[in-house]
Amino acid sequence: MDRERFSSGLTYDAYKAQMTRNREKLEANEAAVHLSDEDLAAFRRLKEPLHVVALAEEWCGDVLANLPVIGVLARESGTLDLRVFLRDENKDLTGRWLNQGQYESIPVFAFFDDRFTEIGVFIERPASVTAERKARREAIHAADPAFGPADAPIDELPDDVRARLSAAIAKMRADLVPWANDEVVKELRAIAERAPAAA
Amino acid sequence: MSGAVRVRVTYCAECGYEDQALGLARALMLEFGSGLAAIELIPFADGAFDVRVGTALVHSMIREGGFPETASIVAAVRLALG
Repeated sequence: MDRERFSSGLTYDAYKAQMTRNREKLEANEAAVHLSDEDLAAFRRLKEPLHVVALAEEWCGDVLANLPVIGVLARESGTLDLRVFLRDENKDLTGRWLNQGQYESIPVFAFFDDRFTEIGVFIERPASVTAERKARREAIHAADPAFGPADAPIDELPDDVRARLSAAIAKMRADLVPWANDEVVKELRAIAERAPAAA
Repeated sequence: MSGAVRVRVTYCAECGYEDQALGLARALMLEFGSGLAAIELIPFADGAFDVRVGTALVHSMIREGGFPETASIVAAVRLALG
């Protein structure tokens, strides 16, 4: 990554403007992002801006959930220079930050200092969010025997049971959004604080 | 072809995986014509993208960590058709 390539990426607003679907979902998630004074102060203390490469696609749920978090953080802090690249049109970048070395998971938020030395990378979602969702999903299944075990094939459930389970999971995930956003900010802050500009 | 094979694609509608589900269904339609008993698209949640060919779960996003390669699903269907 160099300055010229970085500058070819889309700003957050330009990314939103070119979306052909799910923009309303992304903007609803954006409206739900609340940053604490302490977190904002940590980013505002950076001595020089950090450059952040985001890899995204508009169909991805984790992008719709987490890109707005860094979008708001960049806007409110003034210290993150964010550029968005479409994953499927930038395979060289995608191959650089594979999840577990093999999956093209998104979003990717790769942080660089002003010399474009990589500082750290966020991929997909925090492990804590994955773990909490899994625990709550198991609790949903445990609360209703009709759902069967959490790892049972979904398509084998009767249609009405599957619809109830889908609604319960959607509610669980919606309830977790404020906490999950905080977990994303926590992880992004930990990366930013590793930068020389944070010293 | 026996025509007794049913393919089910369970996808996360909440995540917006409609394009991937439709793309796979279209590829199977074009590849096998009337050779399949049915192609079912099942909207769900929680990041699902599972493909069942007959009774065999040949792809699970949770298990495999991504979307399936269309070619691998076509191969699984061809094997099931015998």
